[in-house]
Amino acid sequence: MSATISVASARSQRWRLRGTRLRTFAARYSGRKDGMLGLVVLAAFTVLALAPDLFVGPLETATRATAHAFDAPSAQHFFGADDLGRDMLNRTVHGARISMTIGLLATVITLVFGVVVGLVAGYSGGLVDNVLMRVADFFLVLPTFVLALILAPVLIEVVGADAEFLGIRATLLVIVVVIGITSWAATARIIRSQTLSLKQRMFVDRARVVGVGPGRIILRHILPNVVNLIVANAVLTFATAVLTETTLSFIGLGDPFQPSWGQILNGAQSSGAAGLGAWWMIAPPAASVVLVILAFTLMGNALDDLLNPKARTRQ
Amino acid sequence: MSEPMGEPAIEPALTPPLTPGQIRGRRQWPLPKQADPAAPLLQVRNLQTYFKLGSGWVKAVDDVSFGLTDGEALGLVGESGCGKTTTALSLVRLLPTNGRIRGGSVELFGIDLVAKSDLALQRYRWREISIIFQGAMNALNPVIQVRRQIAEPIRYRLGQSEAASQKRAEELLDLVGIPSRRLGAYPHELSGGMRQRAMIAMALACDPAIVIGDEPTTALDAMVQAQILQLLEQLRRELGLSLILITHDLSVVAETCDRVLVMYAGRVAEEGPVARVFTEPRHPYTRKLLGAFPNIRSDRRTLETIPGEPPNLLNPPPGCRFAPRCPQVMPVCTEVVPPEAVFADGVRVACHLYETPVHETPA
Amino acid sequence: MSGRYLGQRVLQALGTIVAIVLLNFLLFRLMPGSPERILLRNPNLSPQVVEATRARWGLDKPLLPDQLVAYIGSTVQGDFGYSFKFRGQSVTSVIADRIGPTLLLVGLGELISAIAGIAIGAYAGWRRGGLVDRVGSGASLVLYSMPYFVIGMPLIVIFAAGLGWFPTSGMTSVGGGDRPFPANLIDLARHLALPLATVSLGLIGQYSILMRSAIIETRSEDYITTARAKGLRDGRVLRAHAFPNAMLPMVTLIAINLGYVIGGAITAEIVFSWPGLGTLTITALSARDYPVLQGIFLLVAVSVVLANLAADIIYGILDPRVRG
Repeated sequence: MSATISVASARSQRWRLRGTRLRTFAARYSGRKDGMLGLVVLAAFTVLALAPDLFVGPLETATRATAHAFDAPSAQHFFGADDLGRDMLNRTVHGARISMTIGLLATVITLVFGVVVGLVAGYSGGLVDNVLMRVADFFLVLPTFVLALILAPVLIEVVGADAEFLGIRATLLVIVVVIGITSWAATARIIRSQTLSLKQRMFVDRARVVGVGPGRIILRHILPNVVNLIVANAVLTFATAVLTETTLSFIGLGDPFQPSWGQILNGAQSSGAAGLGAWWMIAPPAASVVLVILAFTLMGNALDDLLNPKARTRQ
Repeated sequence: MSEPMGEPAIEPALTPPLTPGQIRGRRQWPLPKQADPAAPLLQVRNLQTYFKLGSGWVKAVDDVSFGLTDGEALGLVGESGCGKTTTALSLVRLLPTNGRIRGGSVELFGIDLVAKSDLALQRYRWREISIIFQGAMNALNPVIQVRRQIAEPIRYRLGQSEAASQKRAEELLDLVGIPSRRLGAYPHELSGGMRQRAMIAMALACDPAIVIGDEPTTALDAMVQAQILQLLEQLRRELGLSLILITHDLSVVAETCDRVLVMYAGRVAEEGPVARVFTEPRHPYTRKLLGAFPNIRSDRRTLETIPGEPPNLLNPPPGCRFAPRCPQVMPVCTEVVPPEAVFADGVRVACHLYETPVHETPA
Repeated sequence: MSGRYLGQRVLQALGTIVAIVLLNFLLFRLMPGSPERILLRNPNLSPQVVEATRARWGLDKPLLPDQLVAYIGSTVQGDFGYSFKFRGQSVTSVIADRIGPTLLLVGLGELISAIAGIAIGAYAGWRRGGLVDRVGSGASLVLYSMPYFVIGMPLIVIFAAGLGWFPTSGMTSVGGGDRPFPANLIDLARHLALPLATVSLGLIGQYSILMRSAIIETRSEDYITTARAKGLRDGRVLRAHAFPNAMLPMVTLIAINLGYVIGGAITAEIVFSWPGLGTLTITALSARDYPVLQGIFLLVAVSVVLANLAADIIYGILDPRVRG
């Protein structure tokens, strides 16, 4: 009876401790000007991405265009119009939704894969670790972007361009998968090295002696201690994912029916906007890409300084 | 190593020590222009070096005074963190970015170095005051040959030609006993003792007025430690080096130094001739420190701990800083900073036990 | 450098190359319905090419070992088969035609950005918090967030379409390459200017950010204190003591990036229609010209692996501790 009480109180104590830690962390983070700037920019784009229809109405297509081709910015169309007379503001805001959704999904896939491989490799050690890390090294050396270029069309051939999942079309999903396949290795390496050092610690030994299984040790004892690292890594992975998505879409692997910023820039490129001096077809999506990636990089650096034990002692 | 303490062992083969006059006279390079030939070599007065930490200042060195005459060896002792290294590095202002000299003066040949600008101070670094750093592995640049590192100050500070400075570097390496076949070695290719010898050669490169040894033997094993100390002693007698030796090892001081300065928590506890201070310690802290070495000539290295911790220097106690740990603490100790009492045998002690000493002479 | 260190690195590189060849082989064979479905769906194929392809891939024979052996055999001989898009041309010759312009553009870009990035990063790190640091680091971070096409398109808008200083695309004017000596070079330089600026700006952020942090890390080393204690001028402490040590990680990065010279700046080439491997990749991609894509992937991957090997070897030469 007393044992259950002490377990319960220990648990509530732990939660209270976590609450305090979170508050002190928030206080320290808010002291970082760069990190806060990133957060504000990111919040603004997230709001746009959540409800684009609310701000600019439904996505304009060739048939629903509201302006004339190559219209320069004006009072009706702040950002001008593209080669098909579609309002650039409308398309850029809708682009936020696609770009950030793809970035988010790709980050999730990268992290899940990288964290699982990292935890398993670090905890098991020996042959499993060796094999997994050889594979990770291989993917780290591979020119991932060129690999992505080859993988994407092959995968599209396989699943068919018209397949759909959660309202996202196959072409975009393929991009998500390709980013995941080509970028998990770095995360796996980081998580593995942290797992290795955690494995040596007392509390893991104690759990093992008491007879706790490896799965439970990984979930209950190691995972909570690498969460900091995962968070810092996630933010930087997101930046890379958005960058890769933009580039792949720009090259023509995107989906014209669900235009991301990269896809919009692809349209500008194929209509020769730059050579015609139609800067308004380039500036809005380009600036959005740079702002979002910059915001993530600033946040990532701030988080890395605050959460990564190595980065902190280096200071 | 069983002689009674207080009489430093002198190898009979060594040349007799030079007199102060001889030392000034054999100086190879002219004195700085502003130098006063009659002034003492070094006079440090009321030095205060603080470190900015968060919102406060860590009073790492607080009101420290001492002097050094030509050819003399002064030992700076105390627990780690007592400010002995900071005191020495303050002489040429080699402080971390958060360190400031907040007061006092450092007079070399009568020239106040504290008042010098950073640029003007460069003239005095290495040419007048050089340093043998603690861990030669980290203090030597890993990607530059040791000989080139020794030649560097000769080339760039004394303006010698490349060939002349390389040749001088070879002579110096020979002087400290590094065989000529190791001339092209990189730091990692030398043993710990060899690296420390190279460090010493580097410190001698510009024929400086003062050499500071910052725990020069701490990282070495006992045999090598003895060899390095012997080398220092030999160089001191042959070249007439004026030496400030920072160490926590009292036996090193007993063997090498003429005078000793005992520091505690950023202040001077006691200072005087080694023979006097070690035979008749007056400050309770010095007694404790010596008591921890029952026979300082023995090779016992277990230091009995003094109960308690050194005070937090961000907010030190108002009176004597040793008061919280002092076995002879009096009510006055926790309130008033003890003034220095000067004895006729050249020892000065900052302790309330000697408020009105019989032998006091005006400071 | 010890033979053991060298041998280990060479073995590692060889292993990676073997793995890349295998990946290339499997990629188009283990997909459901591949490779016939992918290879033969292309409408551009002439019957001869279909036959040549079948013969080249040996699709009627079993996957292991026949197909693999045949594939490795021809790959080792530099035979990557025939292009779908450029009829009758071998993949090797298609790639060879495009390699020069890419090497020119990206090679020069690497050179310029490495020199400028290292100079800016070193100064910014040494005078941390100073004007160069604040401006330079901010600009580096922004440039680091920009893909090539985001840099290149505004450059065209401003300097080609707007000011008319440079042409918008291509490598030569019509007939420009045939003009007598100085004129043809000037023509090339005018075409090269904007793409080169794009590639250089795109790479400079990475170099200056890494150099800055390398210098900051080096600055706190004991041997820097020693150098300061020697009374050396600030500039000499930086040049002779901090710089060589901070350059160690930089050299690795430069060597590794050289491997990407061939993979190049694909999007920079697209924006300026630069006739290099990047535009070839995109042409092949849109025509689903898989033999060419595979050839490019193999070339890029192998050059990256070799560049990594070179980085290890150079590091070993520069750092006396590794050289041992």
